[in-house]
Amino acid sequence: MRTIAVDVPTVEVKNHPGRHHVGCAAAGSATALIGAAGVWGGLVAVFGSAPQMSIGWLLPLSGVVLHLDPLGGFFSVLIGAVAVPVGVYTVGYARHERWPALSLTVLPLFVAAMLLVTAAGSIPTFLLAWELMALASVLLVITDHDRAEVRSAALFYAAMTQLGFVAILVGLMVMATSMGADRFTEMTVVPEPLRDVVFVLTVAGFGSKAGLVPLHAWLARAHPEAPSPVSALMSAAMVTLGVYGIIRIDLVLIGPGPRWWAVLLLLVGAASALYGVLQASVATDVKRLLAYSTTDNMGLITMALGASLLLSGAGAPEAAAIAAVAALLHLLAHAAFKSLGFMAAGSVLAATGLRDLDRMGGLARPMPVTTVLFGVAALGACGLPLGAGFVSEWLLVQALVHASTSGDVVVALAAPLAVGAVALTTGLSVAAMVKAFGIGFLARPRSAAARQARESAASMLTAMVIVAVGCVVLALAPVAAAAVVARAVNVMPTARSAAPAVDFAAVIRLPGLGGSIAPGLLATAFVAALLAAVVAMRWRARRRPPTVQLPLWACGADDLTPRMQYTATSFAEPLQRVFNDVLRPASDIDVTHHSESRYMVSAITYRNRIADALEIRLYQPVVTGVKRAAEVVRRAHNGSVHLYLAYGALGVLVVLVIAR
Amino acid sequence: MIGWLRKALRVGRIVEPAPPAPFAAPAAIDALRGSMQIRHVDAGSCNGCEIEISGAFGPVYDAERFGARLVASPRHADALLVTGVVTRNMEEPLRNTAAATPAPRVVIACGDCALNRGVFADAYGVVGSVGEVLDSVDVEIAGCPPTPEAIIAALRSVTRR
Repeated sequence: MRTIAVDVPTVEVKNHPGRHHVGCAAAGSATALIGAAGVWGGLVAVFGSAPQMSIGWLLPLSGVVLHLDPLGGFFSVLIGAVAVPVGVYTVGYARHERWPALSLTVLPLFVAAMLLVTAAGSIPTFLLAWELMALASVLLVITDHDRAEVRSAALFYAAMTQLGFVAILVGLMVMATSMGADRFTEMTVVPEPLRDVVFVLTVAGFGSKAGLVPLHAWLARAHPEAPSPVSALMSAAMVTLGVYGIIRIDLVLIGPGPRWWAVLLLLVGAASALYGVLQASVATDVKRLLAYSTTDNMGLITMALGASLLLSGAGAPEAAAIAAVAALLHLLAHAAFKSLGFMAAGSVLAATGLRDLDRMGGLARPMPVTTVLFGVAALGACGLPLGAGFVSEWLLVQALVHASTSGDVVVALAAPLAVGAVALTTGLSVAAMVKAFGIGFLARPRSAAARQARESAASMLTAMVIVAVGCVVLALAPVAAAAVVARAVNVMPTARSAAPAVDFAAVIRLPGLGGSIAPGLLATAFVAALLAAVVAMRWRARRRPPTVQLPLWACGADDLTPRMQYTATSFAEPLQRVFNDVLRPASDIDVTHHSESRYMVSAITYRNRIADALEIRLYQPVVTGVKRAAEVVRRAHNGSVHLYLAYGALGVLVVLVIAR
Repeated sequence: MIGWLRKALRVGRIVEPAPPAPFAAPAAIDALRGSMQIRHVDAGSCNGCEIEISGAFGPVYDAERFGARLVASPRHADALLVTGVVTRNMEEPLRNTAAATPAPRVVIACGDCALNRGVFADAYGVVGSVGEVLDSVDVEIAGCPPTPEAIIAALRSVTRR
């Protein structure tokens, strides 16, 4: 079982269980209410006038400027829509996991900070909200701070998010000084060399928040160790704000940029999608799998943005607009299925204490509702028809396939390669999700904890059912989100057009390209075919001899044991072999011989571990370098107060000389 | 692979000409006419019968042209081809395998040991012949070991091809 935090607030909580229940209910409902307010405000901004507010006294020098335009409104709706079910879910989850008071307080603040980011109308406000969001999320990640892994993950995450913040800070400061304005509405054109600097800095900063390769490493560490509602909020809402930053700053304010921007976005997106899905398909920790799947989906969205930029520059405005719609629609779909996935994983974690797929299994019987809901999430993540992610991925592929190249070499090369990347990503994500669902929930329990599982609390199930309904609506009738997406896409210069690029209806048509698909009809046909097959089977079964009940075939042995089943590791082993060069697994076999004879074996130990190869290659040298530098700097810190006072005086002197 | 293809072309067909179809065995079940999927069970054989069975299903005798085919699971099988005297350790697996084979099920006992305990009659680990462990044996193939011709004739008596 998971160890429960026994710090001071928790002990207090144990003495007053009633008060803690009230605290959980208050934190959950506050989160849900703030989320509902975000949805309402976002919808007002998308469909109505853009509300603008300026509070001068709140922040020194610049004041707080709030301006919610349709694009910010779209993200506000998205974050609010994730926060409402997560708030409901937290009521049951926090009670079960005995959250300390600090986490309960910070959760609503985290949602508010995220909403503030979407509503920020000036650079200082944006940076302030961004930093508030980052700090709140770090505090939430260390909820379970008694475990060393949680502390290490939180430290790693804090360092990466602050480095990303530095990149964004420098980029936006360069931008603001070169334009001489800090309100988004008053921005003009940035001069050329500085524009590229701003682009690279902001893409690095926002990309690290969005979990794009190679700045994705914090995702796979922080998401598994954070409490599940926090993982859901971070993965479905906070990470999308990285994409919001890229759209807002790089595509809207300083864009649309030159062609290499588009190619860079496409490359980074494709690398993230492929690397993320590959790591997801070999992961054995269900939350780590979902975290890598986030990298994969953010990669797809970045690819769609890059494609939109590339195609609009290459004279294919219809395809560019479709790619932009695909990006926003996939953001919505990802928010729905990923928050559901993390909540379902959290439901399993609360019931069994397990995250390791190799020890799960057989949960379909004791936890039927969670199993079905995780299935809905997994289907969405697969990008297959009837899943939430299907329509958006189809739109992206359509934009890439039908883009008229008109002799443009870059487009002619990039579009087919991008289609290949999307196809490979989708195929591998099917493998990853079949593994997560099949190994985790079906078959027989692989451990005592999985055998003793019980269905989760009603509030958690209710929250998950709400999100699952959202997933189904996005999968079968994306027309529900059409209006919001269309208004938001109109803000993007790569997709601005008089007529809507995608005609959402029962049959989705692409007026510019001539493609069409009907997910609702597909689903109806599928259900009809299934019913017909069942009826036909029943009818044929009349002529067969009567059925007999026999034990499962176990190759003549008495019974099958759970150890004979496929595990997540063995399921992914063929894939791991194929992609050996990318994944670089570390496996070793120890053979212990009998003391009497070398020919007799007493034990064989096999270990297989897949670490993130990029993390080791890229981060380890940096960490080692920083440590070495710290060793050098340490000599200046000898603990003497006199010396420190001298440093202070010297510093003041230097400042005075410079500012003279 | 080229060498392998060249050899196949050079050697050509080496299959023995098919003798006239034998009479149906009295216990043969009509439902298996034309095609029979067989699960082979080694209940304690000396592997003499196995060598002859692999000969019967090899390229020279080619039992598959008469509609008999070896499969990997009793769940896929119509018939059990049991070789050897039934030993203590294989008694339960043999019963399980027979129970796992869907009806109508044919049991073929192959070799003298399977028919009447053969040379292992009084050994300490022996439970009995196949007929003594399972309720019924439908087709018997005598010989120690039986020749591939005898095995094929027995299989053809069920498939009638």
